[in-house]
Amino acid sequence: MIELKNIEKYYANKGVKSYILRHVSTSIKQGEFVSIMGPSGAGKSTLLNILGMLEEPTYGAYEFMGEDVVSLNERKRIELYRNHIGFVFQAYHLIDEMTVAENIEAPLLYKKVSSAERKSRVADVLDRFNMVAKKDLFPNQLSGGQQQLVGIARALVAQPSIILADEPTGNLQSPQALQIMELFKKLNEEENITIIQVTHSEVNAAYGSRILHLLDGVIKEDLSLQQVI
Amino acid sequence: MFKLNLKIAFRNLLKNRGYAVVNVLGLVFGLTSFLLLLMYINHEQDYDRWDSGLSNVYQVRERHDFFSPDGKQHWQYGIDSKIAGLLKKSIPQFRQVTKVSVLWRNGTAIKIGQSEPILMNDLLEVDSLFFKVFPYKFLKGVQKTAVSEPNTMVLKESAAKKLFGTLDVLGKHVKVLRWSSDEGKTYQVKGLIADPSTPESLSFGAVLHSGEREKDPEGPGSTNYCQVYALAGDQIDTTAVAKAVQKTYIDYKKSTFAALKTSYDDYYKGEMFPGLKVVPLQQVHADPPLSKSWLEKVKPIIGLTVFLLLVSVINFVNLATVQSVQRAKEVGVKKVLGAYKRSLLMQFLLEAAILSSVALVISIALTELLLPVFGRHFEIEMTFWNNSRLWSLMIQLGAVFVVVTLLSGFYPALVLSNCNPVDVLKGTYERGLKGVALRNGLLVLQFVIAVTFIIGIGVMFLQSSYVAHKNPGFEPDRLINIKTSYQEDLAEKIRRVPGVKYVATTTQVMGNVFNVPREITYKSKDYKLNTVTVTMDALQALGTQLVVGRLFSRAYAQDTLNAVVLNEAAAKLLGGHMLGQQYVLKDEGEKHTFQVVGIIKDYHNEGFDKEILPTIYKASSRGGTSSTNNLLIRFENENYQQTISLIEAEWKKKYPDYPMVYTAAESAFQDALKADRRFIEMVTVFSFISVALSLLGLFALAAFVSKRRTKEIAIRKILGASDLQIIRMLNRSFLILVLFANVISWPIAYVLTNKWLSGFAYRIDMPVFPFILATLLSLTVALLTVSLQAKKAAVSDPVNALKYE
Ligand SMILES: Nc1ncnc2c1ncn2[C@@H]1O[C@H](COP(=O)(O)OP(=O)(O)OP(=O)(O)O)[C@@H](O)[C@H]1O
Ligand SMILES: [Mg+2]
Repeated sequence: MIELKNIEKYYANKGVKSYILRHVSTSIKQGEFVSIMGPSGAGKSTLLNILGMLEEPTYGAYEFMGEDVVSLNERKRIELYRNHIGFVFQAYHLIDEMTVAENIEAPLLYKKVSSAERKSRVADVLDRFNMVAKKDLFPNQLSGGQQQLVGIARALVAQPSIILADEPTGNLQSPQALQIMELFKKLNEEENITIIQVTHSEVNAAYGSRILHLLDGVIKEDLSLQQVI
Repeated sequence: MFKLNLKIAFRNLLKNRGYAVVNVLGLVFGLTSFLLLLMYINHEQDYDRWDSGLSNVYQVRERHDFFSPDGKQHWQYGIDSKIAGLLKKSIPQFRQVTKVSVLWRNGTAIKIGQSEPILMNDLLEVDSLFFKVFPYKFLKGVQKTAVSEPNTMVLKESAAKKLFGTLDVLGKHVKVLRWSSDEGKTYQVKGLIADPSTPESLSFGAVLHSGEREKDPEGPGSTNYCQVYALAGDQIDTTAVAKAVQKTYIDYKKSTFAALKTSYDDYYKGEMFPGLKVVPLQQVHADPPLSKSWLEKVKPIIGLTVFLLLVSVINFVNLATVQSVQRAKEVGVKKVLGAYKRSLLMQFLLEAAILSSVALVISIALTELLLPVFGRHFEIEMTFWNNSRLWSLMIQLGAVFVVVTLLSGFYPALVLSNCNPVDVLKGTYERGLKGVALRNGLLVLQFVIAVTFIIGIGVMFLQSSYVAHKNPGFEPDRLINIKTSYQEDLAEKIRRVPGVKYVATTTQVMGNVFNVPREITYKSKDYKLNTVTVTMDALQALGTQLVVGRLFSRAYAQDTLNAVVLNEAAAKLLGGHMLGQQYVLKDEGEKHTFQVVGIIKDYHNEGFDKEILPTIYKASSRGGTSSTNNLLIRFENENYQQTISLIEAEWKKKYPDYPMVYTAAESAFQDALKADRRFIEMVTVFSFISVALSLLGLFALAAFVSKRRTKEIAIRKILGASDLQIIRMLNRSFLILVLFANVISWPIAYVLTNKWLSGFAYRIDMPVFPFILATLLSLTVALLTVSLQAKKAAVSDPVNALKYE
């Protein structure tokens, strides 16, 4: 599903190139649950942003579902966002002026899903996340954990093939964090959704099937976890 | 999607109520003034559009110097009546030519039966062809024959209601007195016409047909002046017609000069040349002779209005971009959810559209509310909903709406929809927000406009107070002017009324000036001077100030023969030291010698925009000609109301069928200043609004900047900065901007106010004070505004600010 070949990213500062990613090559298959780990400043977010096509690599090749991302035009990229990619952010990034239900519905609007179908899908997701009672509240009326649940619900409702999550539990208490991880694991196993998350926590990483260790922009370790649990 | 965007828009507006209100208010100011202007322009362009046939009607204009205000040749529409017949005969394109004279604007008395006479000042005397040229719609009577008989009249619906209180007027008889001593003539109403749907340049309440207009004075030397209108066939070749008209005129003038045995070439030399032309009736209002056209008059106001709209749009843009920081997250998220840039652009334009449509609706309501005031100000009548061109007005409003929405919404929408989601989601958007230079630029522009306005008001205020306190050269108080010819018997009776000091007449008084240029020879040089005919004590009655010599007096028998008084301007023109000097006036071959017996101070008889002409005052035994139309009465003391009713009683005895109409010289004097005063009032209103808008903009920007720097401020405070130091820090950048705006405004304001001042013959030197004042004022107000915001930021608890970062 994802092919990275020799991805480089650097910023030129006063003639000095400061590398953030170097020779990053890897491939991720449909249905994998990958955790990216590493110390602060290692380039984890940058890598995830490149995977999410939010940033462009300075050099290297990136294929997403067989398509060359570098030569992708804006329209195609937006199509990918609509149909295949769901984002989950550390800071949730819900739209403050929309209710819970509207936030979840938003991606469907861009996908031009019919009104009836939207209603049923949103109701479905709300039900699954036990948020039906909260559907008319605004984000600032929810707790952090609840907000992140809405964030994930929003990422899921469009039925993406991949979820990209940058420290999805970074702002949460551990019981809530574990709840989110359980959810990811379930989605990964039951619906075969590819999940790539950035995390600092070994515990969170253990929910996944693979760990990429990043150090100073280089993949130091690519660990496959045995599904023993 | 649209519904959701609309919902978000409203939630956003509610959340940022303050900004929304400021934004809408700003636009309302700009739009309202723009709407008023738009309606005014529509109204002015509507002149003479009430019938499609009017596009074939032409007004005839002749170049001559008779009764021109400066004694020079001008294109005038009061022309030699013989030209009408001439055009009909030699220009085949003109199917009908009609002669019209406007009856004295100070009033024609209409007496119906035994009731009190009613004064009408919108009557026309027409020849029998009037309705062949002007296609008025007859409600009663027959268009073809309505004015074919002498002593007939046709009324407009509105005038019929006013005079008779009914529309059932056909066949009725009324007595018409054209001036006070007129014995009157009876006219029969032969027609009733509908009031046209648009204003008219030749407006009237009724037309009279006495039959006198049918013939022209006999003999080549005598001329009678009237207006001439011609109806042409469809699509005439205007250049060819213009050529033919001019040629006909030159031939006519040559034959007239030959008949009078005078030299055509001697007369038409230098600035004098013969000229006759036709002007389409529908252009007459836009191109009046002798005065500035309405467009010329409102040009400065158009400028002001456009500037005001601009300021309010800038305000909008500034506030919107400032707010966009808050919206950036929404945009970033929507982008990664798969929104097209275009749809985001549309969303933000939609929000601008909501605001500007709210503003537009309020503006329309406000316009409706202000129209009566505005109409009184400009002395026109306009309504919004009953506007004859409501549809075209609606289309114009639609266009204004689109333009304002695009102007104010497009840039913020573009900034937002272009933002990079990574920046936003990382939280670096605010710091990286582009367009700081643009916002600062807009702020500077706003202040340039505001400061220019302030300087403008300052200069105008100084000039108008100079004018108000300038000695007019005569005493306007305790002086009234009855609009009538001077009759010695009535004057004598009024003189005997207790409380009356002088009764006199003159051809030149504020509000009614009739300048007659005469050529004189002094020390064998020729001069052209303005001549004013007065009665013996007219100069005393006016309260003019004697410089040397004496005024006219009954004690000197020869005063009515060969004595004259000069004003200082005339004395100066003739070389000074004129007392006792003699000059020669040639009149139809004969030479008359006049002696200067006194010199008076120049006195104003028109607005201060006009130079006082060098003038000769000549006493007349006949009490002026019957056409002076001024009967000056000076009273002994201030409380002259009682005296006036006594005078009115005398009047009634002499003129039972003609009401007495008078104006106080004081109010005529104020009238002369009215136009300038109006303009100054306008500018003052505009200035206040634009200054207020600029301050709003500054306030919002300051609020934004201090919000953006909350964290910085908190940290600085923790490090030990005092509130004052923080306020100073925030102020610095804004003060530099405002100062910069001032520097730009100075030359602009200088050029503009200098241009305005140059329109006054009597004016102040360019003052420095308004410039300094504007700068101090703008800096102070900016300082206060920013400090208010900065203080809020500075005194807030640093812990809170840091916790929520
Ligand atoms: N616009 C930029 N210009 C220069 N350097 C940048 C820019 N953006 C990011 N960096 C650098 O790139 C490096 C990697 O940043 P990144 O956000 O990917 O780190 P991270 O691994 O996610 O760290 P953390 O765990 O703290 O989130 C950092 O050293 C950062 O300083
Ligand atoms: Mg990171």
